[in-house]
Order: sequence, then structure tokens, then C-alpha cells
Amino acid sequence: MTIVGSIFSATGQKVRDALSFILLTNSGRVALPLVLVFAVLTLTGPWLGDWLPHAPTYMPSPMADYQFLPPSSQFWLGTDQFGRDVFSRVLTGATSLVITASAGAGLGIALGTVVGIGSGYKGGWIDEVVMRIMDMLMSFPTLLLALLVLFTLGPSRINIALTIGFVSMPTIGRVVRSTTLSLKTLEFVESARLRRESTFHIMFREILPNVMPVIGVEASVRLSYAILSVASLGYLGLGIQPPSPDWGLAISTGRQFLVSAPWIVVGPMVAVSLLVIALNLLADGIRESARRARE
Amino acid sequence: MTEMSQSEAPLLQVDHLAVTFHTPRGTFRLVRDVSLEIHRGEVLALVGETGSGKTITAFTIMGYLPGLIRSLPGTTEIDGSILFDGKDLVQMTSSELNDLRGNRIAMVYQNPATSLTPTMRIGKQMEEILTKHLQLDTQQAQQRTTELFESVRLPDPENVGRRYPHELSGGMQQRVMIAMALACEPDLLVMDEPTTSLDVTMEATMLDLVLDLKERTNTAILFVSHNLGAVARVADRVAVMYAGQTIEEAPVRELFKDPKHPYTAGLLQSAPQAPSHTGAVTKLRSIPGGIYTPQETTAEACLFAPRCPMAQDACRTGAPTMLDAGDGRLSRCFFWNDMRPEVWGDLEPLEEETPDSSEEVLSAKGLQRFYGKWKRKYLLFGPQVNPPVRAVTDVNFRVQSGRTLGIVGESGSGKTTAARTVVGLIPRDEGELRLRGEELAPKIEGRTDEQSVGMRMVFQNPTSSLNPRLPIRHTILRTLRKFTTLNRKERHDRAEELSRAVRLDPAYLDRRPDELSGGELQRVSLAASFAGNADLIVADEAVSSLDVSVQADVLNLLAQHQRDTSTSFLFISHDLGVVRYVSDDILVIYAGNVAESGPTEKVLNAPSHPYTEALLSAAPAPDPDAPQTRIRLPGTVPTMHERFEGCFFAARCPRKIGPICDETSPPARPGPDSPEHVIHCHIPVDELTTMQQTPSLETR
Repeated sequence: MTIVGSIFSATGQKVRDALSFILLTNSGRVALPLVLVFAVLTLTGPWLGDWLPHAPTYMPSPMADYQFLPPSSQFWLGTDQFGRDVFSRVLTGATSLVITASAGAGLGIALGTVVGIGSGYKGGWIDEVVMRIMDMLMSFPTLLLALLVLFTLGPSRINIALTIGFVSMPTIGRVVRSTTLSLKTLEFVESARLRRESTFHIMFREILPNVMPVIGVEASVRLSYAILSVASLGYLGLGIQPPSPDWGLAISTGRQFLVSAPWIVVGPMVAVSLLVIALNLLADGIRESARRARE
Repeated sequence: MTEMSQSEAPLLQVDHLAVTFHTPRGTFRLVRDVSLEIHRGEVLALVGETGSGKTITAFTIMGYLPGLIRSLPGTTEIDGSILFDGKDLVQMTSSELNDLRGNRIAMVYQNPATSLTPTMRIGKQMEEILTKHLQLDTQQAQQRTTELFESVRLPDPENVGRRYPHELSGGMQQRVMIAMALACEPDLLVMDEPTTSLDVTMEATMLDLVLDLKERTNTAILFVSHNLGAVARVADRVAVMYAGQTIEEAPVRELFKDPKHPYTAGLLQSAPQAPSHTGAVTKLRSIPGGIYTPQETTAEACLFAPRCPMAQDACRTGAPTMLDAGDGRLSRCFFWNDMRPEVWGDLEPLEEETPDSSEEVLSAKGLQRFYGKWKRKYLLFGPQVNPPVRAVTDVNFRVQSGRTLGIVGESGSGKTTAARTVVGLIPRDEGELRLRGEELAPKIEGRTDEQSVGMRMVFQNPTSSLNPRLPIRHTILRTLRKFTTLNRKERHDRAEELSRAVRLDPAYLDRRPDELSGGELQRVSLAASFAGNADLIVADEAVSSLDVSVQADVLNLLAQHQRDTSTSFLFISHDLGVVRYVSDDILVIYAGNVAESGPTEKVLNAPSHPYTEALLSAAPAPDPDAPQTRIRLPGTVPTMHERFEGCFFAARCPRKIGPICDETSPPARPGPDSPEHVIHCHIPVDELTTMQQTPSLETR
């Protein structure tokens, strides 16, 4: 058990080091707390409703008395067309969006990494064919491709995640491939070949750990793109379906009341933007701290 | 140094210089206490190992220390003074320094390739300096450029200026850098490791140029180098640095003959003797312990005491200053007067009990590897263009069990390609390779497990030959896992045993490569290559990137391993001194062809192939009184294409005899004393002997 303990304390130390380095950068200082707030909202979302004064999906009756109420001390961000509390919907809306987006981004990173390392390490005609297929996928507008897939498969959270994973694969694949190309000529890879290690071992035990820093930066950028995509798909009606408090969906349905009741869309809009900006800043912070750590 | 310059005030006087960097990762005392002076027309060499602070000293003199100095006060601290012609450079403002730099002080950097603008013709770059600093008009500048190129002995000085930096060889680029530094006729020229990135043959011509400059101009030169051989050849006086301090200063001859500081003595005894040295080969000495790191605070003691064989209590309680050791010599040692060359123990002769076995481990016959393919000029039609480049054309050798075969040649001679075809990283095009009589497949992937265990490789670059993201034990454990039948527990025990065998604390095994020094990393690579009980270890420039004292340690480890296990080595290096030290047999290759092969002593003595002779003549000897032979090869190894006739060396051969050299490939002639000694040359062996024993051509 001491081994497990030491591994935990070692990684704990590393995480602490990494965090303190990120907090030394300006963008990191701004982004990290914001991202943490969103992370907490995401994880507590499903139970938050019971704890808030107004449940996010609760439709009061008579509904007419509560529809389109402007922000007040009772409803901090007002109510929507069904009389639901916008504030609690914004707070709980993070869960479905972030989880779907993370699953999508995670899948994209996993696929992209496998494709990138494989294609880069194998080289030759395999590389040529794989990369041309990636080019084809990339030349297609992302959202259009996603719409196409969702039209045929039908909207569901799993399908959304699969689609996002698929469309973000080529970008990550390219980044990973270029890093792999510069790594595979290094002597430690040659020395592994001389030990007659399997191709699988060389790709995933020798090369992958060295690609991880690149993937780390790419991951937070990909996540912010995935969130934007999920929100956009929700807005277009092909994403998460009502009555979920999803932000994209909320903006889409609240749009018709933009002039009479703008508070319905402002909350979700601000939330999406803040999250995406925070993730991008965090990516900057990671990149910057990695650069400083190298020096 | 002439009598006159001695009476003058020194041009540059560095007095108790200390440079400290304060960074988020800690405080680095890179220079602790450096004092030196240079007079006009004098070459002062600043010698030291990696981390001794010699380059930082040079950069501080140039005022190049991290823009930090003035923009971010407090992050870099400079104490002491640097008086240049009476004025203190440390106190100067940036603009005052800028006026001095280029005009009165100039610098030549280690890597010429990155110091020249790649998109500008070198002539233009030169003219820019002249018009900017000396306000010459275009025509004058052009004329002066030609003169300067001529003064650094660039071939074809009128037209060379039209070339781009990448069209020049490393040696020529370095000449251009020197020409630029000389453009404004500076009083002081700082050269930071000017020959480190060059081949032996090019280094030799570069050192000739430095000597030539010293004779022609009155420029003072600060020659920063770790290469004792280069220093012995050019310096008037030498200052030795250790842990950011100058620890000894003396005229070159006295320093090499009779060092007055134990560190200097240790350093001199860890460098292999020159290949032309005829006496008995003595065992290299390595200095135990590690260097005093810049992170440590300066102790009130002698910083070398922990590694010093003659350290006494006084050394640990008080810090010595530079003490006068007589005859204009200084030493930072309390006991300089007790210094004897034997402080490190008597020099033992190298144990040369080479087994004279006829058991053959590896044989190569007609090894060939070309790069590229013939192509048609217009895709499918037209004349054939783009002939394959001959990297290895025809290499034959045999390695016997328990013996070491050294392969030498300049860069581009094909020695690394040959090594890689042997281990199977690069498939050979033609030829036969046999390991213990079994034919080997061209690629490693096609060989059997037994064949792969039989042959291990140690790479040149210690930092990239171990996976930077994994603990160093990974490489050793994987080798054991692949090539032995040990279980998990036994593998871990064996890894610790191996690390002790290469004198590395087993606690280091859990560290990542960036926490270890180059020497330690190379020892890990050695441990990994010993792990499989290989019959043959291929070492490709395995010690080239190491400091001399560390290099000595690694070489001794190799020798020890060979004695214990009678493993054979294929040792590739451009350094003839090192090759002579480790090898039983030598293979000299040039442009992918064997020039000469045979037992070490036979190859290194007359009669030799003219190429071997030139290499020997170029190799710098760590002894200022070594006879200087003056055979210099111009240019670099040419790129040879498939359609080639005549002798491979004809284009650069100083002993070319006539058209026969250009028309027919040379015969293999057996040497006079040993049937194994073979020289590939048109000149008969007897004539070669006579030529090489007549000193008329060789000595000045």
C-alpha cells in the first residue's frame, strides 16, 4: 500500500506544482477560479435544484401569474415564458452541456491521438492516406458535418458527443502527428527499436508520454470549442431537447421574447461566453507556464 | 608575449568578477571569483569544463549578459570590475557599451550557423558592418570585404561573398564570422569555443588561422575552450576555471609541464594523449566526485577540496586566494608548492592484455548504402538525373571477440551510416553481415531475438537516447525484460546491480533524464547496453559530447567491462586520441570507402594512407611542445554520387601522384609488418614510408 500512497503523494505534488505555475501567469489567475466555479456547478447540477428556492423545471400554477417576470428580489434573473426561474436554470444548465462537451472533446482527443501517433510513426503511404482523409474531414464546415450526422442519427446526448468527437479528431490528429514526427527520429525511439519493442509499445509507452504536454494544451482549447458546438447545436434545435435547462436551448427558445423579456437569454449567454473565455485563458496559462517551466 | 607588451598596462583587466543570477528556481552563482588580464597581441586561453563559468565570463566581458542586467535590476548581480583600456565595462551604460562592441571588442561565437543571417549573402552582411561602423561607401566596403575574406584565408575571396551561409561549410562559416569580427580592427577578440562545432581537419586550419592572426595583428585574443589540445596549440597563457573561479594561471608551457593546482593536473591526466604520441599508453585518470554546482553558496573553503587528493584541514576551513606561485604564475591552492604530478597517484600503463583470439564476432563484406534514387528529368522521360548519394560504398571489416575496432573519419565520411547498417537501424543496400557466422537481415525487425541480444548500441547524444518523460530505470528494465528470463523482482535487483557497475547510485534510477548530468546519462546508456550480455556493443561517438574528466571515466568503464566479459566493441569517433586509447584495431574510412585498416599501432605509424596521415597531422596534442606537422586538408568530405571513378580521396589528397588517381580505384596493398594492415593507395607502401619519414614536408 505504501507504493500506492507514494504514487498519490507524488502526483499530488506534481499537480500542486503545475497549479502553482499556472497561477503565476495572469491568464491563469483569472481563468482557474472561473473554471473551478463551472466545474463545481457541473458536478452539483443534478442536486442543485432541490437546494435552490425555485426548482429549475418547476412550472408554477397558475402559470400566467409568473410568466415573463423581470428580475426581482424573488426571481434574481426573472422568469421565462413558462414561469420558471431563469437563475436556477442557468446554474443547473451547466451539467448537461459540459458533460456532453467533455465527452465529445475527450473522444476527439483519444481518436486524434491514436490517429496522429499511428500515422506519424508509421509514415509512408499509410500516413499519406490517413492525412488526406483528415484533410477531407477538415475541409468540411464543422457544424454542417455535425448537423448532417445528427439528422441521420437523431439527436441524443450520446450522438452529440460522438459527433463532436468525430469532427474534432482531425485537428488533434494533425498536432499529435507533427509532434510524433519530430520525436520518432530521436535516439530513445531508435533504442527501443533495437530492443525489438513492439510497434504498440513504441507508440504508446515511448512516444505518448512525450506527446502529453501538447495534448494537455490542446485539450482545453478543444473543450471550449466543444462547448460552443454543443450550445450551437442546442440553439439549432438538434442538440439537447427540452425541458433540459441547457444554455443553447434556453437561448434558442428565449430568442422570440428578446425584445419583451431580454433577461431570459442574457443569463445563458453570459454563462456560455464566460465558460469559453475562461477555458481559452486557461489554455494560454498552461502554455505560458509550460514555457516558463522549460526555462 | 613580448617584453614591450609586458611593461604596458594590460588591455583588459578583470578583477574579482562575480556574476549571480536570481531566478524563480533559485540563485545561480555562475561566476564566483575571476581575475585575469590580457595584453595586446597576446592569446589568453580560458579553459574549464561544462558549468565552470567560462562562457558566462566571456559574455560578461562583452556586456551581453541577459538584457536583465539593466532592465530588471536585482535579477543579475555583477560584482568586481572589468577594466578595458582603463574604463570599467561594468559601470558603462548600454549605449557606451554598444560603441565599444564591434569597434573595439568583437566576439566569435561557438555556432557560426546560427550567427549568420541565413537569407542574406555573406558579402552583403559584411558590407553592412563596414558601412555602419566605419562609414565606408559601397565601393570601399566591397573592396575591404574582399581584403577581409582574403585575410581569413577564404578560398576565392572575390566571389565567395555572393554565397549564402548555407552554401558554406562550417569551417568557412566560422572564417566569415572571424572576418566580421575583424572588420573594425578590434583591440580585443573574444572567441567562445570557436572550434568545438568543427571537424578535426577544419579545427586544425582554424587554429592555424588564430596563430596567423596573432602574428599579423596586435589584437588581444581571449580564447575560451574546453579543448586542451586546441589550447596547447594557440595560447600564450592559460587561465583554468573551476566552479566559477579561476584556479590557476600560467604561461602555456609551464601549465602543461608542471601544473600548480591539483585540478589542472587531474584535467591534464584525463585527456588521452595525442595519436602521434609514441610512448606507452597510460591509463586515463578521472576526477572523482561531481562539480561544485552553481546553486551552492560559496563556502568559506577551497571549492575543490571535496575532490582533491591532497586536501587538508586548512582547505576545508579557509578559502585560498590566487597565490603567487613564482615565475608569473598564480594558483588558488594553499599547497601549490607541494604539487607533484603524482598527486593523483602514479600513472599506470594501460592494461593491454588483448586476447589474440581468432574467434570472429562480426564480419562485414562489401557493405553498401546509397541514399536517393535515380529519377527521370521529366517524370517518365528525359535523361536520368538525381543520382544516389554514396554514403557507404564498400566497407569491409572483422571484429574479433574481446577486441575493439575503432572507426575514424571526418563527419560525412560514412562512419555513422556504417554503424547504423550494422545494428539494422538503416537497412544496407548490398553486402554481407555476419554475427558469429550467422547472416544478419538488413533491418532490425527482420533479425531474430538472439541476434538482437548479441548486439547493443550506445548513442552519441545522452539527453535524447533516454526517454525524457520516463524514469531512467525504464530503459534498463525493458532491456532486461526483452532479453533475459529474469522475473520482475530479479530484474529490479539486476538493474540496481548494473547501475552500481557503472558507478551510479541506484537511487538515481527513479529520476528523469533531465535531473542527471550528461556523464551520468551516458553511464545509464552503458548500463542498459550491458544489460543483455551482448557480444558486441556499437558505440557511436559515445563520449564525444562529454567533458574530458567524465570522458575518461566512461572510457575506463568500457575497458573494465571488456576485461570482465570479453565483449567486443565497435567504437566510432572522430577523435583519434580517444580511438587510439580504446581500440585494438582501427578502420579509417573516407567517403564511404576504407582508406586504411589494421592493428592500432600499425595504422597510426608510418607508412599510413595519406588520409590517415592528414588526420594525424590535424589532431591537436595536449602538449605545447608536440611537433606540429603541417598537412592540412582543404574543404570537406565531398558528396559522391553513384557514377564515380578513380580514387575516392583524389580530390583532397596532398600526395596525389597523377592521372592514375582520377581514373582507377586504388589497390589494397598490405602493410610491411602485418598482413592485417591494409592501405588502399596507388603509392607503393615503401614509397609512402620514405615520404612520411622525411620531415621536409611535415615540419615547419
